[in-house]
Amino acid sequence: MEIVILGTGCPKCRRLEQIAAEAVAEAGVDATIDHVTEIARIMSYDILETPGLVIDGQVVSSGRLPRKDEVVAWLREAR
Amino acid sequence: MTIQSLLQSGLGNLASYLAAHVLLCLLPAFFIAGALTALVPKEAITRYLGRQAPRIISYPAAALGGFVLAVCSCTILPLFAGIYKKGAGLGPAITFLFVGPAINILALSYTGVALGMDIAMARLLLSAVFGIGIGLLMALIFSRDDRGREAAGGAAFAGRARVGGRVWLFMLLLLAILIAGTLQVGILTNSYAHLTLPVPGLDRLESSLAALVPADAARGEEGVTAQGAILIGLLALIGISAWFGLNRVDEGYNRWTWVSLGLVALTLVVAAARLAPHAGGVDIAITGKLIVVVLGLGALWYVGHTRFDAYEIQEWLWETWRFVKQIFPLLILGVFAVGLLRPLIRPEWIEAIAGANTLLGNIVGVVFGVLMYFPTLVEVPIANMFLSLGMHRGPLLAYLMADPELSLQSILITASLIGRLKAWVYVGWVALFSTLAGLIYGAWVDGASAGLLAACVSLGLSALALGGAWLGRHRRQLDPPQAVQTD
Repeated sequence: MEIVILGTGCPKCRRLEQIAAEAVAEAGVDATIDHVTEIARIMSYDILETPGLVIDGQVVSSGRLPRKDEVVAWLREAR
Repeated sequence: MTIQSLLQSGLGNLASYLAAHVLLCLLPAFFIAGALTALVPKEAITRYLGRQAPRIISYPAAALGGFVLAVCSCTILPLFAGIYKKGAGLGPAITFLFVGPAINILALSYTGVALGMDIAMARLLLSAVFGIGIGLLMALIFSRDDRGREAAGGAAFAGRARVGGRVWLFMLLLLAILIAGTLQVGILTNSYAHLTLPVPGLDRLESSLAALVPADAARGEEGVTAQGAILIGLLALIGISAWFGLNRVDEGYNRWTWVSLGLVALTLVVAAARLAPHAGGVDIAITGKLIVVVLGLGALWYVGHTRFDAYEIQEWLWETWRFVKQIFPLLILGVFAVGLLRPLIRPEWIEAIAGANTLLGNIVGVVFGVLMYFPTLVEVPIANMFLSLGMHRGPLLAYLMADPELSLQSILITASLIGRLKAWVYVGWVALFSTLAGLIYGAWVDGASAGLLAACVSLGLSALALGGAWLGRHRRQLDPPQAVQTD
């Protein structure tokens, strides 16, 4: 599956990338993580505030830092 | 001027800032900034910035959003892009962009303590009013273009979250600690009891510090007391313990977390007390501040413990520490650099250019603000340096308005989002309004009546709003809205 992190490179966005990577390992799913930093591309998703987390084209969280267990649950759901 | 004396001036400036200004206002302000980011849902503001929101709501909401949402520039630009592309359009987005960097809680409390509450209030009021004015003007000038983008994207603004009572209570307690620490009124500064601790040697420490960092009131330099030295030590310890305790606090607490939180509380308490060392020990005055800070911390602990999830508190601490890591090191470097520079700049230069509230002085303040790029908050020690070198408060405000709003970097990013023409028109308005703000505030400092000035400003702005409304109606008759275009 495809995971996209939307963020302009602020600390929160980098932390979200770490959390996503850890969650992928914990959920045991096969996923690629892509970090989108250009504002124009970020705005093509339906989010208002970074950081955003997109799983298989679906925005699952934005504007906040989700917990690792939340992300694990979303990953298992999307599988 | 030898290298050694320059270095001493730099370190002295740093020490007196750390001991006197930074602590009491910035420590709680960072925690407030963290709480605003972690605990206040963005939708509480952004739902008023959607496409359907009427102008009378969306513009003030955008100005308020600058206060609540925009603590650092890395949140401002994405949100600006969002409001522009998917929400209320160019006008409110511009208002948000203008107001954000000037009136966030960190900038405001720091300006107030370092430069005076009057200039902080002027910065707050004039930024909000002029931000709305610039937003209206931009929407007016580019109204045709704005109507072309009646695109979808309302979902991003459909949130219905509200700020609950517990969050209000938490914020009020944090604000109470901030205000108690910084406000200089009798009821807070009077001491109500005394305590003597038999700690010898502090008086000797104090006299050797006075020799090392001489106080120089004429140049606005403050010495470092024994209490200040203790506070600097505590700050360093907070830095170390927070590094181990707060970097990963979103995953859970560890022993270092508790150490660093305890140190923060201790620092606030020590800073609120008044220490007077003498030969036999040290006298501790139990001031009104101290009582309010201790009660506030206790209440904060209780509310945080009983009304909030552990994860919410963890997120709050993480955001706070993130702001500290991002802003504080650069601020320290900036303060040190200002201390190095000050002996090199001659007061006569500053006085000749901006010593009085002239048009030229205000323009110079704005141009300097646009050309120079300083990290968040560093504009304040720089302004303080200019103030002590004899700059008039009017041009100083003009500089303070222009500096965080405009830098070449932010102009370029803004241009990539809204187009070069709009970005440069925006830059022109900001320069004009900042100059105007400096002139108005400077006139008030020089004794002009506040009522008269406020009347002039509101008259000008209402003319602007009426003109906008009239032109908007007029244009719609001239060319009916084009077909909806999805981009």
